[in-house]
Amino acid sequence: MTTRPDPTPLADWVASTREGIRDGRFPARAFNDADVHALEQERLFSKAWCFLAHESEIPSPGDYVTRYIANNNLIVVRDENGEVHANLNMCRHRGNVMCKAELGNASHFRCSYHGWTYKNSGELIGVPYMKEGYEGRLKRKEWGLVRVRVESYEGLLFGCLDPEAESLADYLGDFRFYLDLYLKQGAEGVEVHGPPDHWVAETDWKICAENFAGDGYHTPVAHQWGFNLGYFPSSGSTHSQGWAVHVPGKGHGIGLGHSPNFPPFGGFPDELVEDMRTSLSPEQVAVFEKTRTAVGTVFPNLSFLMQPFSLVPGEPGVRFVTMRLYHPAGPGRMEMYSWCLVPRGADQAYKDEAYRCYTLAFGQAGTFEQDDFENWTKVTRSAESTMVRDVDFPYIMGMESEPDPEFPGPGTALVPYVNDTNFRNLWSRWGDYLAGEA
Amino acid sequence: MDRDLVHDVTEFLYREALALDERRFRDWLAMLTEDIRYEVPVRVTREGLADWELSPTSRIFDDDAATLEVRVRRLETDFAWAEQPPSRTRHYVTNVVVDPTEVAEEFLASSNCFIYRSRGDSPNPSFYSLARKDVVRRTADGWRLAKRWAAFDQSLINAHNLSIFV
Repeated sequence: MTTRPDPTPLADWVASTREGIRDGRFPARAFNDADVHALEQERLFSKAWCFLAHESEIPSPGDYVTRYIANNNLIVVRDENGEVHANLNMCRHRGNVMCKAELGNASHFRCSYHGWTYKNSGELIGVPYMKEGYEGRLKRKEWGLVRVRVESYEGLLFGCLDPEAESLADYLGDFRFYLDLYLKQGAEGVEVHGPPDHWVAETDWKICAENFAGDGYHTPVAHQWGFNLGYFPSSGSTHSQGWAVHVPGKGHGIGLGHSPNFPPFGGFPDELVEDMRTSLSPEQVAVFEKTRTAVGTVFPNLSFLMQPFSLVPGEPGVRFVTMRLYHPAGPGRMEMYSWCLVPRGADQAYKDEAYRCYTLAFGQAGTFEQDDFENWTKVTRSAESTMVRDVDFPYIMGMESEPDPEFPGPGTALVPYVNDTNFRNLWSRWGDYLAGEA
Repeated sequence: MDRDLVHDVTEFLYREALALDERRFRDWLAMLTEDIRYEVPVRVTREGLADWELSPTSRIFDDDAATLEVRVRRLETDFAWAEQPPSRTRHYVTNVVVDPTEVAEEFLASSNCFIYRSRGDSPNPSFYSLARKDVVRRTADGWRLAKRWAAFDQSLINAHNLSIFV
């Protein structure tokens, strides 16, 4: 191995990386590199459907949150007619930031520089000195806030910077089948328990996206303390049981972990299970009732985890769901947004317990999250060193495996749950975007 | 407030911080009441006139005696990777103000807490500034912490994790 300045043009690196993925290899360099980060901003996050917010964060007219797609700050707002918009958080006059809060309610946004005023929907309605200054030359309707496409699935609001991109429904494709496990817990669906945990980490967003695309492999070691204290119904020897499912060509993937003798829909409240048995499709019921852990990633950077958990080890526990967005904030640097989703139809005691389970396990102080981020910051740090630029990692689990023919759901399902197949699919889609072929 | 009382409460907070900084977590648990509430709300950046900026529902920590025991038992295993090797912390507790509450033997202790955290060989420590509004209780066995309520001054927190106590 030699260490040297890397003369390889980025396009060649992308091409050889895509070849490597097909052979079960992925380069360390991808996880901390300024050029790769810049290419992701340009070719991936400006083309893909990116998660913005959950509808329950902005339930009423005028409610807004500010969020990012790539490095663009957006106001995600519900207008007076109930329609959701995402507009660039920038005044069209001289570029000042319109909205300096990350959450609130407003019928209008007024710029603090020269006073241009917009309806919350983004239309320009107020311009000081309109007559004296602009003498009739400024047409208000041409100077509204810059709009971003918004579409939703079951309460999840996504934005896309590419006007030519496919619809969100097509983008998510068959992965909607699996998202329903998180989003259709009972007839009334889910809501956020409150604003997200929000922190910054010297971690590449892709490490998190991959881990949550179904990395059952890390759990018995990275979270060994949890097995040690008796938190898991599975043991190290049975933890590999379950399905790894991916949607080919889309990048999305989910791990569905099983345990021996796990009760059907274990951890859900009974009344929600009744709802789910009737409102979900028979195929969804067949997959979900067996599932203990469901950990999935919507390409590129939105993930979900559902897990039965108890506040003290050894009790049946409740299901908590965390939804997380990995906002790339620079090479090897990210902002984490981490929400807890609770079933709207559950009683308050269940919601509160599920939320406390979330805070104990995940979120910034969560005992499982803590160990993950310790590992992930170390991976990121390794990835920037010069020798590592020439190093690939193995992604060869499940290379020769045939899909499970009995699996009732869409996509490609492999056993065991401990598998790299979802990750090859994830990085393959990432490669398509970086090559400009998505 | 009585000067001796303020002094006693302040010294209790110092000794509690010392137990954390010396990683004597069992000693620290013994300084808490059995009905301890340990809460760190999520802060959100909002307009000045907003009705709240500390979320009424979101918590970074939302613990009681049973879950704090779990957190300490975790640290006592060989597998708490987030604290292997351990963070070196200093809790600087200042601006202590003690007020009575409606309960005779309980007092509200407001303080500032500045935490220095050093990890591994990194020369760049992390700093966290928090406002604390704790409840301390005088018992037959001495002072105990009945409530820890601490709010970070940042809404976007510069810590890859919070594997420490605040």
